[in-house]
Amino acid sequence: MPWSIRKSGIDGRKAWPVPGSALWLLLRNPSAVAGGGIVLFMALMAVLAPWLAPYDPNALNLAARLQAPSLAHWFGTDEMGRDLLSRVVFGARVSLVIGLVVIILAGGLGTLAGASAGYLGGRFDNVVMRVMDVILSFPSLVLAMALAAALGPSLKNAILAVAFTQVPKFARLARGEALNIRERLFIKAARVSGFSAPWIITRHVIPNCLATIMVLATLTVGETILVAASLSFIGLGAQPPTPEWGAIISVGRKFLLDQWWYPTFPGLFIVLTVVGYNILGDALRDVFDPRLRGGRL
Amino acid sequence: MSLMEFVFRRLAAMIPVVIGVTLCMFLISHAIAGDPAIMIAGPRASAETLETIRRTHGLDQPLYKQYFRYLSDISRGYLGESIRNRRPVLQDLKVFFPATLELTLASMLFCLLLGLPLGVLAAVRRNRLADHLTRLFSVIGVSTPVFWLGLMLLLLFYRHLDILPGSGRISVQFAAPSAVTGLYLVDALLDGDLGLFRDAARHILLPAFCLSYVYLAIITRIVRSSLIDSLEQDYIVTARANGLPEWRVVGLHAFKNSLIPTITIVGLSFGELLGGAILTETIFNWPGMGKYVVDSANYLDYPAIMAVALVSSLAYVLLNLLVDVFYALVNPQIRY
Amino acid sequence: MKTLKRRFVGAVLLALGAVFAAGAAWAATPKDVLVVGVSSDPSTLDPAVTIDNFDMREIFPVYDRLVQYKVVNGLGTTAVEPMAAESWFASQDGLTWTFKLKPGITFSDQTPLDADAVKYSIDRMMAIKMGPAGNFDSLDSVTVIDPLTVRFNLKHPFAPFLQVLATNGGSIVNPKTAKKAKGDDLAQGWLAQNMDGSGPYRLKEWLLGERLVLEARPGYWGPAPALKQIIIRIMREPSDRRLALEKGDIDITESILVDQLPQLEKNPAVRIGRYDGQFVEYVYLNNTRAPLNDKRVRQALSYAVDYRGLIDHVLQGYGAQMRGPVPSGMWGHNPKAFQYKRDVAKAKELLKEAGYGNGLTLTLIYSERRATWEQIATLLQSNFAEIGVDLKLEMMANPALRDRVANKNYELCLGAWSPDFGDPYMFANLWFDSQYGGMPGNRSYYSNPEVDQKLRRAAEAGDADERLKLYTEVQDTVIEEAPYIYLYQLKAIVPMRKEVEGFVFNPLLESMYNFATMRKR
Repeated sequence: MPWSIRKSGIDGRKAWPVPGSALWLLLRNPSAVAGGGIVLFMALMAVLAPWLAPYDPNALNLAARLQAPSLAHWFGTDEMGRDLLSRVVFGARVSLVIGLVVIILAGGLGTLAGASAGYLGGRFDNVVMRVMDVILSFPSLVLAMALAAALGPSLKNAILAVAFTQVPKFARLARGEALNIRERLFIKAARVSGFSAPWIITRHVIPNCLATIMVLATLTVGETILVAASLSFIGLGAQPPTPEWGAIISVGRKFLLDQWWYPTFPGLFIVLTVVGYNILGDALRDVFDPRLRGGRL
Repeated sequence: MSLMEFVFRRLAAMIPVVIGVTLCMFLISHAIAGDPAIMIAGPRASAETLETIRRTHGLDQPLYKQYFRYLSDISRGYLGESIRNRRPVLQDLKVFFPATLELTLASMLFCLLLGLPLGVLAAVRRNRLADHLTRLFSVIGVSTPVFWLGLMLLLLFYRHLDILPGSGRISVQFAAPSAVTGLYLVDALLDGDLGLFRDAARHILLPAFCLSYVYLAIITRIVRSSLIDSLEQDYIVTARANGLPEWRVVGLHAFKNSLIPTITIVGLSFGELLGGAILTETIFNWPGMGKYVVDSANYLDYPAIMAVALVSSLAYVLLNLLVDVFYALVNPQIRY
Repeated sequence: MKTLKRRFVGAVLLALGAVFAAGAAWAATPKDVLVVGVSSDPSTLDPAVTIDNFDMREIFPVYDRLVQYKVVNGLGTTAVEPMAAESWFASQDGLTWTFKLKPGITFSDQTPLDADAVKYSIDRMMAIKMGPAGNFDSLDSVTVIDPLTVRFNLKHPFAPFLQVLATNGGSIVNPKTAKKAKGDDLAQGWLAQNMDGSGPYRLKEWLLGERLVLEARPGYWGPAPALKQIIIRIMREPSDRRLALEKGDIDITESILVDQLPQLEKNPAVRIGRYDGQFVEYVYLNNTRAPLNDKRVRQALSYAVDYRGLIDHVLQGYGAQMRGPVPSGMWGHNPKAFQYKRDVAKAKELLKEAGYGNGLTLTLIYSERRATWEQIATLLQSNFAEIGVDLKLEMMANPALRDRVANKNYELCLGAWSPDFGDPYMFANLWFDSQYGGMPGNRSYYSNPEVDQKLRRAAEAGDADERLKLYTEVQDTVIEEAPYIYLYQLKAIVPMRKEVEGFVFNPLLESMYNFATMRKR
C-alpha cells in the first residue's frame, strides 16, 4: 500500500492534485484541510514573525508593566513591559523548531534502529528492543524531565530529552514494517545479489517504511510540543528571554489572579497548534494508513 | 502455554528492564545532583565540613560501588534517606503515594463516567451534531497542556466563581482521617465522617478533572469507534431485526463488546496518569508523588527522585502486564 | 436509550450538586488558632544544622536561647535581653562570658534546663560544624560552673558574641535527646524531624508538603500564649497564598508579589504590614576569573545597572538602592558612602580602558528561590546589552547554584543575604575577609590583605568607635573595588488578616513570627 502511494502521489511528477492521488484525497477531506490550514498558519506566523510582531519581543519597557489587553497591546504586556502578542508570535518559531528537530532526531534514530533491528533480527534486535523497553517503562514526561534536569536546563537539552523519549515509538513501528519487508521478494533478491545489509536497510527497508513513519511523525509533533512546553513550564526548557509558550505561561502563572491574560493567550496558541497537528495527523492516517488506527488517538 | 506460565514469563522479562531502569535513574540522578554534600551541608558550609560529609555518606566512593550499594539497599526494601530533611524516603512515599493514587483513581472515574456516555452518544449519533461536538471536545482534550488547563480551571472555579477550593487535599480546619488506606475519600467514609468526605471530594474535583481530560478524550474516541464496529456486527443486526428496543441493543449488547478495548486503554492510561500527575499536583498543590518529586528536584534530593522514578516505573510496567493478562483472559483467541 | 441516559445524567448531576452545595462559605479559622501560609516546608528542624529562616520559623518558638532580641514599642530591635539567662558578665579581656540561668525552666520530660543542657547543646552544634557553628568561630569551650552557671571561653575577643547567642545556633536542646543518636550522628536524624525544647510551643504534626502544626506546650515557664495552635500551611505559589488570605483560609502570610499588593489592599479584611528590613540582594562577581578580576570591568557593570528602574518598577518602590554592603538600619551603615548610579557612557569607557571595547560575553546564574529574580536577571541582561556586554542567563536549582559558587565555577550570580545577628560583622567580615572565601560568605572570592587585616581587628576590638572607624574605611575600599554589584535592600511586607494582633517584625528574624505574643481579636 505505501508503495502505490509513492508511485502515484508523493513521488509522482504529474501536476497536482490528480484525482485518486494522495493529495487529492487529502484536499477532499475537510479535517485534513482544517488541520493543514492551522499548521500552515502557524508555520507562516513563525517564518514571518519579525514582520507580523508589532514590537521587539524582548524589548523591555518598565513603565508599561502588566498592562491589560488594549489596542496598543492586543494581548497585554508582561512583568517587564514586553508586548505579549509579539512574544506569542515569536513563540510560534520556537515551537516549530522544537517540533521539527524532535521529529528529525527521534524519527531518524528510531527508524534507523528499528529498521535495522527488524531486518537483522537476532541478538541485535533483542538488545535494541530491550533498550526501547527500558525507555518505554518510564512515563514519557517523567523521563524527559529527568533527562532535561540531568543535562542542565536549556532549550537545546529539552529538545534532546523529548526526542529521546519519542525514539521507541518510531523504532517499534519501523521494526514491524521491516519484519514484513524483509520477507518480500525484491529484498531477498537484493540479498542474494550480494548487497550489504546497510545498503539494503538504507536503500530498500527504510524508504518502504517512510509513508507510515511520516504519518506517525505528524501525529507525534503535537505531543512533542506539549511535552516541551511542559518542560519549559517547570523551568527545565527554554530559558529567559526566549519567548517559548510554556515558559511564558510558567512566569504568567504568578500573575494569574490579576493579569488573567498573561498565561491565557500563549496557552490558547499551544492548544491551537497542537489541535492543528492532531487533526492533520488523523486525516493523514485515515487516508494513508488505516493500519495505525488501532493505536492511540 | 498456560496463563500462569505467560504471567511468569512476563514477570521474568521484567527483571532486566527493572535493572535497566535503576541504572538509568542512578546515572541520571547523579548527573543532576552534582555534589550532594553541598546540599547536605547547607548554605554556609566550609570545605572541611564538605569533606567530612562526603566521607560519612560514602560519596567519595567510586560510582559503581555506590550503585551496587544502592541495588543492595533497594533489594532489602530500603530506599535511602532524603538529603533534604533526613527522613527515610519510604516513610514519605507511604504518605505521597496514596495521595497520587487517590487523584489518579478519581480521574479514572471521571474518564469512565464522562467518557463512556459521550462515546456512546457519539456512536449512536454518528456523523450528526453530537458526534462532531464530541470529536471537537476530544481533539481539544488531547491538545491542551495539562498545566494550562489547570490554571484556567483555578481561574474560573476558585478565583471567579469561588465554588471550589484550589489547593491541598482537605481544608485546614479538618484533621486528616485515620490512615487505613491513605485515600482520604475512603478513609473519611470508614471513619463515618461525612463532612470530611465532602470536603475531600470538593478538593479532588478540579485536579482530578484536569488530570483526566486527556484520557477522557482518548476513551471517548475508543468507545465510539469500537461501538460503531460492534453495531455493524451480524448479531446486533439480528437483535435489531428481532425487534429488541434500541436502548437494549446499544446498552447491553454492543456496549458490552466495546468494553474490552476501553479497559485496555484505561489500564494503559493509568500508568501515564501517574506521570501526568506531576504537573497537576504542582498546579493544585496536591501533596502527592508528583509534587514531591518536583520539590525534591529543587533540592537535588536524589534518593527521593530515584525512589519516585522507581515506584512509578514499576507501577507502569506492572499495569502494562495486568492489561495484557486481562486481555488474554477476556479474549481467548489471543496467543500468549 | 433516552431513559438510561436521563437517569445517568440525573445521577451525575445529583452527585455533583451535593459536592458543590456543601457550604460555599468557609468557616473562619478559630480564635486561638493561627494559620500561616508559607512557601515551603522547613528542610530540617535541627537548630545545630540550619541557618535558613524557614527552618528557624519553627525552631524559635520551640527552643529557648540564653538571650533574645528586645522589643521596643512593638518593634523588634537588634539589642538583646535575657531569655533563659537571668544575668551575665564578661571578663575584662573579653575572653570569658559567664551566664547565670533562670531557675525552674524544664523540658517536656521535666529535665531541667541547666548548665549541662547549655553545654550539651553548644558542644553538639560545634561538633556538627554546619552553618550555625560558623557564627561561633571565636568559641573555644563551654564550662559548667554549677547547675545554674555556665561559662563560655573564647579563643580571641569577639565583639558581637552576645548577639551570636541569640541566633538559632544558641538554641538549647534537651540533653536527653543524646539517647536518640544513631551511630555517631549526634541525634541529627531524630532532631531533623522532631523537636524537644523548653519554649512556649511543641511540634504536634508535620505532614510534609502540606502542613506543620505547633501546639502550646503545657508547663512552659513564661506566660501561656493566647494562640493555642499554629498551623503552618505550605503553599508554594504566591498567588495561592494571597487568595487564601483574602478568603480567610489563612491569617498571615509572606512573600506576596509586590504587583499583587494594590489589589490585595482593596480587601477590607486584610492589613499589609510594611517594615524596614535588612534583607539585601546583590550580584556576586567571581573575582578570581578574567575579565571580572579586573576592577574596571566590575565597576563598569556596577555603572550599567538601572537601579532606579529596578526599584521603581520591578520592586514597585518596596526597596532602596544599597549604599555599600552594610544596610541602613544596622549600625556601621554609612549614609554618606559612594553609590553607583547608572552611567552608560562611563561604563563603556571603563570597559574600553580594560580592553573590552568590542564587548564581551558573561553568564549570570540564578535560582528561582526569589520570585523576582527572573525579572532582575532579565533587566540586567538588557542593561548590560547597552554597554556591549552580552549576558547569558542560566536558571538552576538552588543547590546546583551553590555547587557552582562553592567551586568558583561561575561568573555572575544573583544572591540574597540577611543578617543572623545585629552587627556589621555579618556584612563586612563574612563578605570580604578572604578566609571566608566561597559559601561561608565571601562568595565573590574577593581578596585584599589590607581589608582582611582591618576586618579582623574590627571583629576583636572592644571599642565601638574604633570598630566603626575600621568598618567605614573597609566599606569605602570595597565600594570602590566593586567585588559585588550592590543592588537593593528590601522592605519587608507581611500581609495579614485584620484580626491578627501583636505581630512584631524584627529585621534579623525575617519570615519568622513571634507566635507566643501574638493573638487574634
